[in-house]
Order: sequence, then structure tokens, then C-alpha cells
Amino acid sequence: MPIEKMIPLMLGGVKDTLYMTTVSTLFAYLLGFPLAILLVLTSSGGLAPRPLLYRVLDAVVNIFRSIPFLILMILVIPLTRLIAGKAYGSTATIVPLVIAAAPYVARMIESSLLEVDPGVIEAAQSMGASIPTIIFKVLIPEAKTSLIVGATISSGTILGYSAMSGAIGGGGLGQIAISYGYNRYQSDVLIVTVILLIILMQIIQLVGMYISRKTDKRIRE
Amino acid sequence: MPLIELKHLTKTFKGKTQTVDALRDINLQIEQGDIYGIIGMSGAGKSTLVRCINFLERPTSGSVVIDGKDLAALSPKELRQLRQQVAMIFQHFNLLQQRDVRGNIAFAMEIAGMKRADIDRRIDELLEIVGLTDRQHNYPSQLSGGQQQRVAIARALSTNPKIILCDEATSALDPTTTTSILNLLREINRKLGITIVIITHEMSVVESICTHVAIIDDGQLAESGTVESVFSQPKTKAAKKLIFRKSGADSGILGERLIRIVFEGNASSEPIIADLVMECRVSVNIMYADTRDVGGKAFGQMVLQLPEDRLQQEKIIFYLQSRKLRVEEVDGNAH
Repeated sequence: MPIEKMIPLMLGGVKDTLYMTTVSTLFAYLLGFPLAILLVLTSSGGLAPRPLLYRVLDAVVNIFRSIPFLILMILVIPLTRLIAGKAYGSTATIVPLVIAAAPYVARMIESSLLEVDPGVIEAAQSMGASIPTIIFKVLIPEAKTSLIVGATISSGTILGYSAMSGAIGGGGLGQIAISYGYNRYQSDVLIVTVILLIILMQIIQLVGMYISRKTDKRIRE
Repeated sequence: MPLIELKHLTKTFKGKTQTVDALRDINLQIEQGDIYGIIGMSGAGKSTLVRCINFLERPTSGSVVIDGKDLAALSPKELRQLRQQVAMIFQHFNLLQQRDVRGNIAFAMEIAGMKRADIDRRIDELLEIVGLTDRQHNYPSQLSGGQQQRVAIARALSTNPKIILCDEATSALDPTTTTSILNLLREINRKLGITIVIITHEMSVVESICTHVAIIDDGQLAESGTVESVFSQPKTKAAKKLIFRKSGADSGILGERLIRIVFEGNASSEPIIADLVMECRVSVNIMYADTRDVGGKAFGQMVLQLPEDRLQQEKIIFYLQSRKLRVEEVDGNAH
């Protein structure tokens, strides 16, 4: 493909991929964060143990986590139509991306929150802290570094999912790679998309790690 | 009326396969202004006991009354308010790692809903009390154990509590730092009149600052009272075990010449030391003694500090050997 056609095509692809990734990550966190907090609170060792609720939430998360993304995309097409008005294109892909990523994100956040020293939580309780206070003043701030690392990994995973969605009507770099590189044998396009995806992943990783290191107060000096 | 009263306190942990009686029928009264030591071997239930005092652990039965309030009768909100009066410090300090010293001290006051300006003013006072003004912008990872515990103490004091519970607060610290933290606690008790409950397995902690002591053994209260009365006349086996273990293991035996005499079945009715003192006209200091009576025979050992005079020393050793006791030299700090 000539360069003057390649550049606008790729710019459009990068833009769509970033759009899908950021919006999906955002919504996945909006759903996943409360879910993770519920999981942490209701577990048997949690601050408000509710074994039955925990088992239900845990199972739901596991079920969604065990469906491969491409199959999930097909499964939720009716829902995608309902929400986005159509089942193809970048915006429509956000629906299955969020559904697939939210349970994943919830698990990442859950594991970060579980890393917080139980002694510090106990200290907060001994000072008379309520559960919301413990969540917002202890759990989240103390897990901050780990949460940022988790967000880095999650957005990287969502970036990968978004590329995969190109196989069945999603937009962005994945769709370009499949329709040009796979269906039309234009391997130059394929290679460029792969390089761009690698660069995007590297940027996410570098920025995420930089922020997590910058904000961590434990490893100074 | 005692400030803290535990009545028939029982705590049972139910596991899947077994139940553990962590505490059994504990009755204890702690008065305003006491420094009350609760001592026991590890696993005796003392950590559970201290957590029952502020209801971090709910007792299975029995009651905890603080300042006239039965904790079991309080609503969750009232319980949280009461906890602002019952501060706690921990073995591993439990500071927020992502907040600096000021932020950590502020935490308890934020929970109590104090205004920002008041919090800042109070932090300055507290930094002064615990001697950390020059470290106020450091994070816990930049502080030594002793400094971290000082931050925890400042945090505990911040809401003007009536009681401070210390859960093995000096167990992670070296001896010098332990002494300075204990001095700080004593000062707080004297100047501010705060009642202090100290959970420890170290006899030396109880000896150095406590006014009262309770000995917990296997989930039960073995003995309690003033430190002098319990330590001078321990009645129960658990108390004796703790008190004698201490004098041997913890305090290095220093002094001039030390000898160990070993009882291997001498008649326990023989008053050997009294005879020694009277017959040789010498004075000896019993540094350590662990003897027991088994069917009328004495078993165990005793470490004696001998007088300065060489001649007297030989006289004593000769006398003891003549009484069919094994006599060994003891190095400066071991035995």
C-alpha cells in the first residue's frame, strides 16, 4: 500500500483503537470497582461478611471470565444492538469489551485491595472508622500503587481485546489488520498494524509503571 | 467503679473441624490510671483478650464494661465513638504506608471528624510530645521501628483517649528502643492520666512500668493483682513459670563470681542456703533459682553471686560440695 494511503488509514486505526480502549477501560472500571469492593467486603474474612452474596458475585465473575472474548462478542450481539444501535464498528465494540473487561478488572482490583496489610485495617477499626472510611481512606489509598499497576495491565488487555474484535466487525487497528492483512494479503499493512499495537502497548506500560512508581511512598531512599 | 471491667468473658473460635476456647471466664477490673500488664506465653489468648476490650473481637459470652457502658449494648455507631476513647497501638505499628508522619497522626482525628485547622494544631503538639517534629514529613518506610511506634503513639493520643491498649507494642523493638517507648508510655500515664493496658510476653516490660499485672494461661486468668504482690508471691504454676523463666533467660546475670549449684535429689527439707549463710558467715545473692520438690527430693538449680573475698568464695564452694551438691562456675552472663 502506498505510504500516502497508509498514513491516514493507520491514523484512523490508532484513533479508533485508543477510543475503544480508553472508553472501555473507563466503563470497565465503573462497573468493576464497585464489584471488587463488594467482593472484598463480603468475603468470609471481609469487613461485612455475606457468604451467600459473595458466592454469587464470585460465580458471576468467574462465568464471565471463562467465556472467550470472541464468543462473548457474538453472544451479546442483541444487547450490543440494543445499546449502540448496531453490532459493528468501534462504538458498538465497546459493549462487549466492557462486559468482558469488567469482571477482569474486578479481579485485578480485588487482588490489589486484598494486598493491603490487615493490621492497618484493624488499626483503622480500632480508631472507630466506619466501613466507607476504611474503603476510601485505607483500602484505596494504601493499594494505590498496586491499583495503578493493575490498571496498566487491564488497559493493555483491553487493547488486545479491541484488536481481536476486528475479526467480527470491531473497528480500529485490529480490523485493519484483518481486512487488509488477512483478507487481502497486504502483509505490509499487517506488519505496520502489529508495530503500532506494540508501540501502543509499550506506551501504556511505560506510563503506568512511571505513575505507580512516582506515587509510591514506600520505596523512597 | 473500675474504668474497664471484664465479666465472665469467654471467646470461642469455631473452625470447620474444631472449636478453640481462646478465653475462658475471664474476670478483670482495671482502674482509672493503672498501667495494667497482661502477660502470658504466646498462644495463651492475650491478643484475643485485648481485642475483646475494644470489641474488635466480640466475646462469645460475658461482658465488657468501659466507663460504665456495656459494649454489647452499644449500636455500631456508638461503638465506633467509644473506640475513639480506647486507642490501640500494635506490635507492627500498623501505620498507613502512603501517608507521611503528619498524615498518619491526622488519620484518627479525621475519623473523629475534627476540623482541619484543629487537626494541624494538635499534630504540632503531639509531634512535640513524641519527639518527632523533625521527622514530620517522612513516610513510615523512612523511619526506624521506634520512630514508627512513636507515630503510632501520637496517633493514639490524638483524640484524647481515656485508655490506650498496647498489643505487644515493644516486641518488635530492640532493648534500648523498648526502654524509650516504655518511658514515653509511663510519662503519658503520669502526665495525662491515661489508663494503659499492656499485652506482652516479656516479664521485663511488666516489671519496668506496670502497676498491676494479670497472668493469662491457656485462655484463663491464672492470677492478678499489683505487680509487687504477684511477683513476690506467685501462687499459680503459670505465674511461677513466667516469673522464674524471666530471671534466668532475660536479665543477663552480671556481677563478680557466679556459681551454679545443682540439686539432684538432695532432701528438700534441708535448708542448704540458710545453713551456708549461718555456718560460713557469708552473704550470698541468689541470682536465679529453679528448684522443685519431687517426692521430698530437691531437683533443679540455683545461681549464687559470691562475695568479693577469695577466701570466702572457697569456703562457700567447699561447704556446698561437702553437702553433696554439684558446683559449677558460671560465666558472666550465661548460666
